[in-house]
Amino acid sequence: MSFDSSRYLTLFVSEATEHLESLARVIVELEKKPTQEFVDEAFRHAHSLKGMSASMGFENTALLAHALEDVLAAAREQPGNFSKGTADAVLKCIDILSTHITAAQAGASFPGVADAIGELRRETQGSEKTSALSAQAVEVEKAPGTPSPRYRLVLKVSASSTQAGVRAFLAYKRLSALGQMVSVAPNLDDIRTGRIPQGVLSLELETAASEQEIRQRVSAVSHVSLESLTLSNPSPTGPPAEPVPVGQEAVRSVRVKAEDFDLLLDDSSEVLLATARLKGEAKTAKNAEDLLASIERVHALAKNLHQKVMLARLTPVSTMTDRWPRAVRDMARRKGREIEFMVEGDDVELDRAIIDALSEPLLHVLRNAVDHGLESPQERQMRGKDARGRIVVSVKRARDRVELLVKDNGRGFDVERLRQIAIERALLSPEAARALTEKEALMLACLPGVTTAFRVTDSSGRGVGMDAMKRAVESIGGRFDLESVAGESSTVRLSLPLTVAVLQVLLISAQSEIFGLPISSVAGVVALERQALSFSRDRPVLHFADEVVPVFVLAEVLGFPMRSIDASSASFVVVERDEGKVAFEVDALFGQEEAILKPLGKPLDTISALSGVTILSSGQPVFILDTGRLSLQPGPPRPNPSELTQAGLTLRNRSGLV
Amino acid sequence: MSKRVLVVDDSVFMRDLIRDIFASGGFTVVGEAGNGLEAVERFKELRPDLVTMDLVMPYRNGIDATREILRADASAIVVMVSALNQDTLLMDAFEAGAVDFIVKPPHAENVLAVAKKVLGLA
Repeated sequence: MSFDSSRYLTLFVSEATEHLESLARVIVELEKKPTQEFVDEAFRHAHSLKGMSASMGFENTALLAHALEDVLAAAREQPGNFSKGTADAVLKCIDILSTHITAAQAGASFPGVADAIGELRRETQGSEKTSALSAQAVEVEKAPGTPSPRYRLVLKVSASSTQAGVRAFLAYKRLSALGQMVSVAPNLDDIRTGRIPQGVLSLELETAASEQEIRQRVSAVSHVSLESLTLSNPSPTGPPAEPVPVGQEAVRSVRVKAEDFDLLLDDSSEVLLATARLKGEAKTAKNAEDLLASIERVHALAKNLHQKVMLARLTPVSTMTDRWPRAVRDMARRKGREIEFMVEGDDVELDRAIIDALSEPLLHVLRNAVDHGLESPQERQMRGKDARGRIVVSVKRARDRVELLVKDNGRGFDVERLRQIAIERALLSPEAARALTEKEALMLACLPGVTTAFRVTDSSGRGVGMDAMKRAVESIGGRFDLESVAGESSTVRLSLPLTVAVLQVLLISAQSEIFGLPISSVAGVVALERQALSFSRDRPVLHFADEVVPVFVLAEVLGFPMRSIDASSASFVVVERDEGKVAFEVDALFGQEEAILKPLGKPLDTISALSGVTILSSGQPVFILDTGRLSLQPGPPRPNPSELTQAGLTLRNRSGLV
Repeated sequence: MSKRVLVVDDSVFMRDLIRDIFASGGFTVVGEAGNGLEAVERFKELRPDLVTMDLVMPYRNGIDATREILRADASAIVVMVSALNQDTLLMDAFEAGAVDFIVKPPHAENVLAVAKKVLGLA
């Protein structure tokens, strides 16, 4: 009977990944400032990894983690001796361990570890460590190359023993020291707590030790006897004996706190009870009102449950940012930069889906900051700056949004150069380029063509990535902003919703088709006589707060066939877009509703103006417009004031859509 | 030559008790320590054949002390002295490298049997 490790694989993968990420983060800290506290933490991560890998039967992984643990144990003695070389070796080892975890997840074979262990061992020896560690390391190194015979052992803890768990565990530990424990049943936690049915333990041990040595080890533990010892098939390669059946797709998991989960269970039980009662009432109810009240109650419960599920999806940003110190460090080293990197507020929580969507593009943003944003140490000194560049990521909760800032104190964007490139690439006419405000010109950095050119020149700005970042943020209903102070700093500012799936939408209609607009993008609603519109450069505009906002007819922008409307007054929805506020004229407003956003299926998902679909309480499906990406072409129409008095009809005819 | 023992316990009473047991069994108690920190120092200085280590002590507990002793000398033999209901700590001590344990209150028979076994005398 072998321990069924596949059941624990998902948990193993997610936990091991967390340990590796935290370890990498700590190593980077350690390199900067070697303190006992950091070494201890690093040691704990390595130690946990070793234990987990061994329990899963991933021997090579455990061996490498063990070698890692040795290096960190040595560092524990003298944290001050933790060198850049050690950090490099450890980080390399972390990379290999990551590939192991990926392999474990895919059921693939594991990469070799002998070289990495050798390298780690040299690090330990380099720091003048004594016999204990080197001896252990030698033992470890020998193992992967030459597979040892595998023994199957059955142990029995005597029934009269008072501390059966302790004794069984001691036997396990003492045997583990002989080689590599491949499997153990019952599992270690049960053993430790003394849950050992009939006092019987079965173990599989790979060891070069002789049978006699094994027998001696067991007999050295009082109250534990060796029932049987047999040679089982030695594993020829090292990877887990039984391939683990898992799909190729990465398992996306969300960690839910046990108490949150209990609450969910409570709530769903209540929903269940309420529906049962409803069923009863439906049979006996005298009037519709009683029934309605019960239905309302079920609805409220279900809503509450839904909200809690959404909350359970929230994950701390640290699951993403923990990897960054390491990543930034590597980028900086490659580029020959000295960088101080800080993450503030990584305990802020976001929906898992948002974190997934942002983590890659943000890495690009960081790379850009390192490669192009920050100057070389020499250049910095010449400019009278600290030779060490600084990148700060700060995450803040602001009411129902989360603000994420990536700020570097590098050279900032060269806005003039951005204009120039846009002209060179024929993306803008020279006049149009000149007409752009500073902020608008800055956003040119997000145009794919421009960023590529920027990367080529490499002298004054950023590489690819801004466009990817902007797209990713907008796809989840967030907003993206760039700020730059020439010669001083650049900032990428993301404003993110907490969750993606639930959206407050404003329901409107255009040509009797109902649409939802995300409330987060709506700045306000204005009802106005058409005559009250004024004009700027022949474009209808309305005054909203202190701003002058260009007006577009939504139906027209959507490309609907036009028909005339007689009403002289109209409703306008003012929305935020990258270029500023824009007002859309709509036929009617139907108020606000909470929508559960569903992604669009093919082929609708290619329409950039739509961000999803939702089902109204009436059962009617409604498209959600992505007002930020809605193309304002065709148009804007340029009516003269006399045409305007004809109540919008002319606008439409002129656009050539009829 | 009789085997040399270092007795570590924060209680003087307990140290005396264990010392007497070892003496009665023909062992030589070469030193005592009242806390973990001291234990590591005394170990490095005396290099005894066997260490009996209390689990819970001030200034570095028995588990950390055991770990450090084994780091200083991988061949050191450390036996924990534990009260009942300290199973979890005890297992942590095994993780740290302790090879066996004695239950408090220590009985001569048990202490000597464990000592002989771990030293390969039995």
